[in-house]
Amino acid sequence: MSSDSPVFTVSQFLAVCNETLEYSFSGVKVVGEVSGFKVNQGKWVFFDLKDEESSVSCFLPVFQLRMPIEDGMKIAVKGLPKVTKWGKFSLTVMQMAPIGEGSIKKSFELLKKKLTAEGLFDASRKRGIPDDLSRIGVISSTQAAGYADFCKILNARWGGLEVLTAHTQVQGMEAADQIIRALKYFNEHEDVGIIAIIRGGGSADDLSVFNDEKLVREIAASRIPVITGIGHEVDESLADLAADIRASTPSNVAEMLTPDKRAEISRVRSLVSSVYTKIVDGISSAAALADFKDVGSKILQEIERSCRDIEAKKKMLMAANPDNTLKRGYAIVSGELSPGGAVKITTYDKIAEANVKNIKERR
Amino acid sequence: MAKEAQKKISTKIKELEGMVDWFYSEEFNLDEAEEKYKKTVDFSREIEKDLTELKNRIEVINKDFTKD
Repeated sequence: MSSDSPVFTVSQFLAVCNETLEYSFSGVKVVGEVSGFKVNQGKWVFFDLKDEESSVSCFLPVFQLRMPIEDGMKIAVKGLPKVTKWGKFSLTVMQMAPIGEGSIKKSFELLKKKLTAEGLFDASRKRGIPDDLSRIGVISSTQAAGYADFCKILNARWGGLEVLTAHTQVQGMEAADQIIRALKYFNEHEDVGIIAIIRGGGSADDLSVFNDEKLVREIAASRIPVITGIGHEVDESLADLAADIRASTPSNVAEMLTPDKRAEISRVRSLVSSVYTKIVDGISSAAALADFKDVGSKILQEIERSCRDIEAKKKMLMAANPDNTLKRGYAIVSGELSPGGAVKITTYDKIAEANVKNIKERR
Repeated sequence: MAKEAQKKISTKIKELEGMVDWFYSEEFNLDEAEEKYKKTVDFSREIEKDLTELKNRIEVINKDFTKD
């Protein structure tokens, strides 16, 4: 044994090993399959992460377990390698996420069942979009295509809004904690009417952050209503289920939050156009009324003229009445006007019968 | 600022609707209609201008969310 080699106690040696491991592998990410998963005393989680040839022990406190895991699931863990004082090598897990469609789906279903049972997704918890929306909080990556789509559609549809964006990662192991911090920030410091969590399309692995239990609970607990626009129409995350409103895409978030100014302009024009029609109708009605009055006046004139005509004819008839002549003392003689002939003499109020004595020529 | 702008537009649209309602009310008469129609058209153009010209203000919060 060389004299210049350092000599350690066991504890010193393990401390140096751990320092070296921490220096060399701080935050190392390891991918593998879960085996021997167990929770001790309801506080500590132990499992092995293995591949075809090797296995490494993993450990974490139960409150850091952000997703349900089971044996056989493929996961990625970020952790700190450590040698325990009993000389056992293990990985203290800081973050973990399922990998691959099968594991993600399994984890999703397990957590969905648990949170549904707690009532976290109940329809009665949902709030609507505020009426007088003027300030919107957005949580997204400002470099993401989905965020660009959201801004483009928002600007095309409406104006005068104030949008405050919290730039966070929207995929990867750190994303969930960043989104949670942004949610807390808006709830504690900003007077926004709604918080929009936005992320464009991606693989199941990319979107798995939105199934993080702590994030889902934070969304459900948000004082400010939350709308999600994550992935595409077919992608469903637990964050969507916990949110007050789920939009199918980032663009759809913008569509749901704002009226379309083109439709509003069209409505304004339509209002004015209806007024014009109303005025034209009013003018037509007034003209029709005037025409009606004109015709009525002509009919009245005709009736008056006819009445006058009838009155004149009546007077003429009255004048020709024989009674009027009789009234003046005349008499009508009718019968055989010859000597000895019988005649009838009619006065106004009497009728006499007589015989003719004599007849002479008057002229 | 944004809230004021929003209110201004929604208030103006409501005001326009009120102006239009007059034409369908008992008070409607052709003597006043011309003047009121001119006012309605001018006001609708003002709203249209607001809707067209009003821009959104998008600001990225100056805070690092990677740390507590």
